[in-house]
Amino acid sequence: MLHDIVSPMCAAMGSDSHAELRTQLNRSCRVTLLSGNLTANAKSETSGVCARVYRGGVYGFSSMAECSADAAAAVLRAADENARFMDRRAPGGKGALPMIPGDFRPVTGGVQDPDQKLYADFAKEIDAYIAGKYPNLSSRAVVATADSMEKILVTSDGAGGYTAIPRSYIYIFLNAETTAGAPIELFKAVGGSGTFDKNFTDPAKLYPEIDSLYEQIMQKREGIYAEAGLKTCILSGELTGMLAHEAVGHTVEADLVLGGSVAAHNLGKVVASEKVNLVDFAHTALGVEAPLPVYLDDEGTPAVDAEIIKDGVLVGYMNSRESAQHFGMNPTGNARAYSFSDEPLIRMRNTAVLPGKDKLEDMIASVEDGYYFTSTNNGQADTTGEFMFGVCMGYEIKNGKLGRAILDTTISGVAFDMLKTVDMVSDQMHWTSSGYCGKKQPMPVGCGGSDIRCKITVGGR
Amino acid sequence: MYDLHSAADKALAALTSGGADAAQCIARFTETHEFNVDGGRFSLFRTLFDNSLSLTALCGGKKGSASVNRFDDAAVAEAAQTCLAIAASGESDSAWEFAPMLNNLNTADGSPEADLDLLFDRTKELMETIGKKHPTILMEQMIVTHKKRHSVYRNTLGTVHETLDGDYQIELMFSAHEGERASSFFGSYVCTDDLSRPFIELGSLEEDLSNVEKQLDTTPLEGKFEGVAVFPPSSLSSFLYSILGNFASDTTILDGTSPWRDKLGQVVADSRISLSAAPRHESVVCGERFTGEGYPSEDYDIIKNGVLENFMISQYVANKTGLPRAKNSSSALVMAAGDVPYADLIAGIERGILVGRFSGGNPGTSGDFSGVAKNSFLIENGKITCALSETMISGNLGELLKNVCAISKETVRDGAGELPYAAFGGVTVSGK
Repeated sequence: MLHDIVSPMCAAMGSDSHAELRTQLNRSCRVTLLSGNLTANAKSETSGVCARVYRGGVYGFSSMAECSADAAAAVLRAADENARFMDRRAPGGKGALPMIPGDFRPVTGGVQDPDQKLYADFAKEIDAYIAGKYPNLSSRAVVATADSMEKILVTSDGAGGYTAIPRSYIYIFLNAETTAGAPIELFKAVGGSGTFDKNFTDPAKLYPEIDSLYEQIMQKREGIYAEAGLKTCILSGELTGMLAHEAVGHTVEADLVLGGSVAAHNLGKVVASEKVNLVDFAHTALGVEAPLPVYLDDEGTPAVDAEIIKDGVLVGYMNSRESAQHFGMNPTGNARAYSFSDEPLIRMRNTAVLPGKDKLEDMIASVEDGYYFTSTNNGQADTTGEFMFGVCMGYEIKNGKLGRAILDTTISGVAFDMLKTVDMVSDQMHWTSSGYCGKKQPMPVGCGGSDIRCKITVGGR
Repeated sequence: MYDLHSAADKALAALTSGGADAAQCIARFTETHEFNVDGGRFSLFRTLFDNSLSLTALCGGKKGSASVNRFDDAAVAEAAQTCLAIAASGESDSAWEFAPMLNNLNTADGSPEADLDLLFDRTKELMETIGKKHPTILMEQMIVTHKKRHSVYRNTLGTVHETLDGDYQIELMFSAHEGERASSFFGSYVCTDDLSRPFIELGSLEEDLSNVEKQLDTTPLEGKFEGVAVFPPSSLSSFLYSILGNFASDTTILDGTSPWRDKLGQVVADSRISLSAAPRHESVVCGERFTGEGYPSEDYDIIKNGVLENFMISQYVANKTGLPRAKNSSSALVMAAGDVPYADLIAGIERGILVGRFSGGNPGTSGDFSGVAKNSFLIENGKITCALSETMISGNLGELLKNVCAISKETVRDGAGELPYAAFGGVTVSGK
């Protein structure tokens, strides 16, 4: 249907313009049990059609909450009018973007969302396990959630196709009190790409994760405050993944480079130790499918890996069609839109610090006085690369041995300075895809990393 | 064309005929026009038409919620069926309820119809003004939006609200650059229903741009001291949301982890602190008209003269805990001005920090916070001296409210609320 609508319209557009037409269905589901109270039990679905038209260096975009031939024609017309408005009032003064012809990825399967009862029953079983086995917790929460994006795209270059990204997760939050009576919290996200019924077949399979989380919060009850200052530390793969995303990944998104990020002046320069390699994987990472595989982006570009740091040197950016032309690079398929009413923005896919050859136990043994930070509950970074991560679990290292657990702390630094201090990288890889990246629109992303030994500023109390 | 009443009626009929004891429906149409600037140049003009139909059903005390963005008969029927199935999967809980028929609303606020030519002209004027007055500023992204919202709320108890509103929102993300020197980025926001004034005059845009220009050259703080932290309205709001989220919200009141859980009617802050959730306040543009449970929104005090007056909790949590429900579900915060001119507030500080932005973790219910002070300046001997880098601040949110040094006479209205500048003592400031 979309091909029939878009083709004649695109043919009449002229040589300095091109168009994309996309239909999209987003689904999400959430069940929340807060200390046994079912506080959320909801499902939502949004769908519609959108068009984006490029004309002389500026874009027009329009969307409607309707998937029909009439709606598709209407949004394409409105997007064209908007592009003409911008071309008239704020001309971009540019020619057409290089064509990206391609095949049409066929429509297959579709995401089959299971009944809500499955989510609710699973969450109740998990909650009952925690309540029954660990009554000394001050509170608990179990959240069963799933979301999916299904898209059909056609472009005036003749590329396009069907893509689907489903994922499902269970979040477990445990709250307790320290021996001094101060509240502490730990959480764990379990899940990944795929629908809930595929990822969660038996609640008992999660019990070891819950037991481990409980053991950690009991250690944290006796925890100490980390000492402030510049320390030799080991960051777990979870924290390294966040570093890859927040502190490096955003600065090499080409639109943020144009907005003045630190990467603008560092292409081709050493920004990390030679042990550091960082890639934004499209769909396949280290021989297996990436946590959230992207095969085709929302501009019709076949997604390829974006190599960012190679042996410590900044070698590339993540690009859209327009930014790739600006920088004289190849588009990488990073232009992604969250909902039918969103335009494609340069977004990460599966951003990761690659594994090295060191063993974690050797890394711990090599630290005389420092910390092993294992879990984070949030992270933020600046386009200068200055970052701050909250650390919610970790241990002191004294004379090469793990010691007491620590209470919540923060770590901070400037990415391209801190990465130069990395002198060991473990051979293990940790991936997660549980969160949303925020950048005008939300977006599910994967991030990964290996344990690294580095020097980093610890916030202490 | 859309018919919100018809969609809501059909949804309620489908829910009740399907077995719901009580139900509510919110049908909404939203039209958005948006100009985007990226990397300092106009890049995009968007026009969006969206629908939203949110259904909630109670069946034997079991609650289910479903939402779609279509109003056609088939979509409404399917959404109702989904909603009932979700309710059936839940647990019975007598605390769920909807607003009884009290005072049905029919309101129009703001500027529902967009003046797009004038909006574009104001946007271009802002870009040109920034280019002339703040030449080192690079606009990473500017999003200027007009939104028109038309909503109908109906429930089976007879409550019917219909609201129409429209406003203009200006969001800026920018940093200062000179050669390879760059400041941290900063975000500014303002909302208005009036295009008669240049945007640069609204909210704190001019002050924010000037401050970021002064952050091109920063100095890392050496050592550590305990001093006064001054929060301008833009960063004060995020601290207040953090305090309220951890101490006064549904989640922490329901699970009992809030340190304020048993402090209603007691002093929790300095007597100079009076804070309201006030979507109907004159400074708030197109504030909330009705809550998610269907109650007409009214302003209320959270803290008055330092005393905790109300929690920000829903009817559900109120029923679970026996505490009074909040009279609105908005995040429009209005804080009473103090009696000290801002210049005198700064002049009275021996050693402290002006915190432009805080980049830190969620403090949790302990209230302990620690993070990087971004876009911040050192205050020494009553004067704002150098811009800082790699500086952390830490303290406790609960203690902060009790440790007020001064509240400014001046306030900033950004369309989402109204806040003064506030200075708090006992904050640890640490550098390398």
